[in-house]
Amino acid sequence: MNPPSSLEELVQALRCLPGVGPKAAQRMTLHLLQHDPAGGTRLAEALKKALSNIRHCEQCNTFTESALCALCASGKRDPALLCVVETPADLLMIEQTQAYSGLYFVLMGRLSPLDGVGPKDIHVERLLRRAGDGVVREVVLATNFTVEGEATAHHLGELLRARGLAVSRLARGVPVGGELEYVDSGTLAQALRDRRVV
Amino acid sequence: MAVSTRVADRPGFILHSYPYSETSLLVEAFTREHGRMPLIAKGAKRPQSAWRGVLLAFQPLLLSWSGRGDVKTLTGAEWQGGLPMLGGRALACGFYLNELLLKLLAREDAHPGLFDTYRAALDGLAGAADQAACLRRFELRLLSELGYGLSLTHEAESAQPLDPGSRYHYVFERGPMPYSVHGDVARYPEVSGQTLLAMAHEEFANAAVKAEAKALFRALINRMLDRQVLHSRQLLRDLQAFDEPSL
Repeated sequence: MNPPSSLEELVQALRCLPGVGPKAAQRMTLHLLQHDPAGGTRLAEALKKALSNIRHCEQCNTFTESALCALCASGKRDPALLCVVETPADLLMIEQTQAYSGLYFVLMGRLSPLDGVGPKDIHVERLLRRAGDGVVREVVLATNFTVEGEATAHHLGELLRARGLAVSRLARGVPVGGELEYVDSGTLAQALRDRRVV
Repeated sequence: MAVSTRVADRPGFILHSYPYSETSLLVEAFTREHGRMPLIAKGAKRPQSAWRGVLLAFQPLLLSWSGRGDVKTLTGAEWQGGLPMLGGRALACGFYLNELLLKLLAREDAHPGLFDTYRAALDGLAGAADQAACLRRFELRLLSELGYGLSLTHEAESAQPLDPGSRYHYVFERGPMPYSVHGDVARYPEVSGQTLLAMAHEEFANAAVKAEAKALFRALINRMLDRQVLHSRQLLRDLQAFDEPSL
C-alpha cells in the first residue's frame, strides 16, 4: 500500500477540528489548494506560531503568550476576588457581562468521578496556592450547573473554606426576561428551592 | 435481524452521558422495566436543545426510545420532578451509586426491585437521612438483586444461629464462619455477629455496625468488580490528600 498522498493527509488532518467530517475536510482542502494557496500558507504559519507561543498564564492558568495574561497583568482588577471557571470560553463569557471586576482561575476541566477525572487533572493544587496568596478574600465558584460542575464546586468550596476563604457560588434560577410558562420545570423547581427573601 | 422496537414514557434515570459526535450524547440510562440501556440522544449538545437541563443524572425521567440493535435512539425525555438536585456530599454518594450500577449491571437486564431501591436511596440522600446508612442499604440490596445475597443469620457450615457477641469471618459466596487466626478462613474479612444480625434487619444506625458493614461491603464489591477501579471512591481519597497538614 502506498503512503497517503499529501492531499489525503491534509484532509485527514483537518478532521481533528470540531464539526468537520470527511466531506467538509475534503472541501476545505480543495478550496485551499485551488482558490487560496496564500490563505493556506497563512493558516499554516498562524497555526504553527500559536501552538509554539501560547502557554498557560502563571496566575490564572488561561491561555496567554507571556508569563501573565493581559487580565492578570492589568492592575485594574480587584485582587481580593477570584472567580473559578471551567474553561477559557467561560472566562470570556463572564468578561462579556461586564459585571465582574476581580481576577480568574481557569481549571481547564471539571471533576468527573465517572470518567476518572480527578483533582490533578484540574490543577487543584495550583488553585489552592493561588487563592492562598493572602490577597484573595473571596472565591466565586462559577463552574457549570451540570452534576460534574456542581461536584467540582462542592469539593473546591470545602477545600477553600478550610483555608479560611469566603466562598460563593453563582446563583441559579429563572433567566432574565424568562416567562414562567416557558421555563423548563427543572429550572423552575430549583428556583423555588433557592428562593430568597426580598 | 433485530426487530425494531418503540417504547414510550418509561421511568428511568440517567447514570452518565458521554459525548457522541459533535452534537449528540451517548446516555447510559437505568430504566425500571428494561434495566441499563445505552441510548443516543441526537442533537442533545446543541445550544438550543430542549434536552439540555433534562438529561441530568439523579433526576427521575420518563424516557422514550426506538430503534433496532444494541444502541437505541432516545426519542423523548420528560422531567418528572419530586427529587431535589443532589448537592455536596450527597452528590459524591450519588456518583458512587451510579458507578456501581454502570460497572455491575449487565445491559438490558431488568431489575425493577433494584430500580426502586435506587430511587429510595436517592430520596434518602436528597433528604436529611443518614447518608452512610442509605449507601449500606443500597449495597445490601444490590448484592442480593445480582444474585450474591448474603447469609446474615446463620453460620455457613454448622447452620448454627449467629451469636451477637462472637466474631466471624465472612467467607465469600458461603457465609459467616467462626473466627480463627489460622487457615484459609482467616483471609476473609472479619466481622462481629452483632453487625451481621443488624445487617439482616437493614439497621445501620449504630456506628460500630456502620464501620464494619462498610468494610465488609467494600471487600465484597471489590471482588465483584474484579480489579476495576471505582473512580468515585478514588476521587474522595485524592481530595482527602489535600487536607494533610503539609498544605
